[in-house]
Amino acid sequence: MTSPPTAAPDTHTLGSAEAGTPSAARRGTEFEGTATVVARQTVADGVVSLELAASCGEPLPPWRPGAHIDVVLPTGVIRQYSLCGPVKDTARWRVAVLREPDGRGGSQWIHDHLVEGGELRVRGPRNNFPLRPAARYLFVGGGIGITPLLPMIAEAEAAGAEWSLLYGGRTRASMAFLPELEGYGERVTVRPQDQYGLLDLTGHLGDPDRSALVYCCGPAGLIDAVEAHCAGWPTGALNVERFAAADVRQPAGDEAEQPIEVELRASGTTLTVPPGLSVLKAVEQAGVPVLSSCEEGICGSCETSVLEGEVDHRDSLLTDDERAANDTMLICVSRARGRRLVLDL
Amino acid sequence: MTLTQHVRNGWYLGAWSDEIGRTLKQRWITDLPVCFYRLPDQTVTAVEDRCPHRKYPLSLGHLDDDGTLQCDYHGYRFDGQGVCVGVAEQADKPKAALRRFPLVERDGAVWIWPGDPELADEGLLPDTSWLNDPNWTHVHGVVPLKARHLLLLENLLDLTHETFLHPTSIGNAAVAATPIDVTVDGDRVGFSRRMTGIEAPPFYEKSCGLTSPVDRWQDGDFYPPGIFVLNIRVAATGTEEPDGFHMKVLYGMTPGRGNETHDFYALGRDYLIDDQELTRFQHEQQLAVMQEDVDALEAQEIMYATDPGGTAESSIKSDLAALRGRRAVAKMLTREQQAGTARPRASA
Ligand code: FES
Ligand code: FES
Ligand SMILES: [Fe+2]
Repeated sequence: MTSPPTAAPDTHTLGSAEAGTPSAARRGTEFEGTATVVARQTVADGVVSLELAASCGEPLPPWRPGAHIDVVLPTGVIRQYSLCGPVKDTARWRVAVLREPDGRGGSQWIHDHLVEGGELRVRGPRNNFPLRPAARYLFVGGGIGITPLLPMIAEAEAAGAEWSLLYGGRTRASMAFLPELEGYGERVTVRPQDQYGLLDLTGHLGDPDRSALVYCCGPAGLIDAVEAHCAGWPTGALNVERFAAADVRQPAGDEAEQPIEVELRASGTTLTVPPGLSVLKAVEQAGVPVLSSCEEGICGSCETSVLEGEVDHRDSLLTDDERAANDTMLICVSRARGRRLVLDL
Repeated sequence: MTLTQHVRNGWYLGAWSDEIGRTLKQRWITDLPVCFYRLPDQTVTAVEDRCPHRKYPLSLGHLDDDGTLQCDYHGYRFDGQGVCVGVAEQADKPKAALRRFPLVERDGAVWIWPGDPELADEGLLPDTSWLNDPNWTHVHGVVPLKARHLLLLENLLDLTHETFLHPTSIGNAAVAATPIDVTVDGDRVGFSRRMTGIEAPPFYEKSCGLTSPVDRWQDGDFYPPGIFVLNIRVAATGTEEPDGFHMKVLYGMTPGRGNETHDFYALGRDYLIDDQELTRFQHEQQLAVMQEDVDALEAQEIMYATDPGGTAESSIKSDLAALRGRRAVAKMLTREQQAGTARPRASA
């Protein structure tokens, strides 16, 4: 029997701790400041890797596989990059940046202007994509989506877990970190699209396996395909991280970016719910008891009557008619179309 | 949340036609005792199986050749309309009538409406003509289930479980791996799953003489509160629907007494209809698969019944149709409760 890697509980794996207590715990383990580029290297067509160290010379906070940092560019653009160096290295963080010609200019600026010795504002790390213990891992990486998987693979390997990686990209030349991955031998299957076509997910993932966890990061199309493939797998078996650029749940317009005001009429309180915090969490933090279970808009336990305001429904359960009626909402995922909602809570 | 109360304003499969004759048959439906029998003109009747005198079950009484029903405790006698026509003890008729339930007998099935008779609308019944179509053949029956009807409903609306619960017959990984589309039309919940180029599960391999790969389609429709129809098509990969093998499964999920359910089934096909051997095989398989479900649901029922605190359930995407079905039933129940309890009334 292989012993699964221990994902030591720490304060920066995402979960209720982060959502529930936003301040102290997180600040303690987060870095926010200036980092110096101590190494810059082109690692594939259109991909550079950067090694960052704290400009003040202090060690960097620890992190776990799956963690990312925010990079605040001089243009004001904030970008997230997964940490992809060794977890143990508290002197340097490594990230890899793909030049995205269609992006908002963040990656272009890094490619064109950031040289060794240059400085960047960074904060983090945070982890929305934590690696959980398992006896077996199936990794699927697409393009730059390989980055969060690298430390995961290192951890799985160190723990003696069974694992395999299916790694796709446009062309072999565009795929970063191939030499590093070659060291793992047959566990790694490299499949550039120009040679092999679409990734053979069926062959790689196979049938649902209770002992296996699937970790996938890559472009939206790949993640959608993996999600479809794993639809019948046990809950939680599939873990994905989408690139920030491919926002899946963005509603029309940018209302999601706005804080909303939620009046809980029965309790006589009004809350401001910032973007990124669900109405459910805000209500819970306000000490108002409310049922919830899946927190994904599936189960319906958090269903709440809406007294005023227009709902921006983002659940999977309500029917079109129920949505149109605008008298009920699943507060774990849904928000407001306007700036204000009145709930019967 | 799992409902333990029963919707009454809705059609349920009360019996197969061939179960009802000139003998009295008791069956509990939505916690109501029902006595089924046929009148001399062959029409089916269903009355509340409680004598208005001292509540003795009428199904323990007997039926005269002229269709008079007699309670065998103190001899109350009821005509074909359920009206008391006399009692042996005395000359004048006691004032009494039996509650009669709206019924529809069609294509070999007897549908019963246990709620408010004025709401009984035949238009809500699904098309069952295939049960009576010369181009089709089917087997049918009823299996007792000691679990609440909602668990059966969720079982049928989430066929992902085939992969895990029926791996040797109708399930394989393709079922769980293929997401479903869920549609809601009024109270009705439908789902469809299209599996293309998959390995044929053993049952279909044998039933259709197909070898892998095959295309397999499942289109399920839930007519709340208690009817489910599954359309199945299996075809060699690449052929179109008309070339496929077509099967239908009808389930009548009829709540009985307490948390017991009558699990009515009919399994039909439109090919090799004279092949008795195939019919026998399919029937055997159907019952074997249902037994796997019954065992699972009865085990599940105990867990729900002993978990009154209702610890939270976890749900996943493939639960969507089942959760919608659950909502549909919950809504019907709320509507019914808001409208006030339907008065038991004699529809004489
Ligand atoms: S908690 Fe499940 S839908 Fe909101
Ligand atoms: S109980 Fe039926 S006649 Fe008395
Ligand atoms: Fe089943």
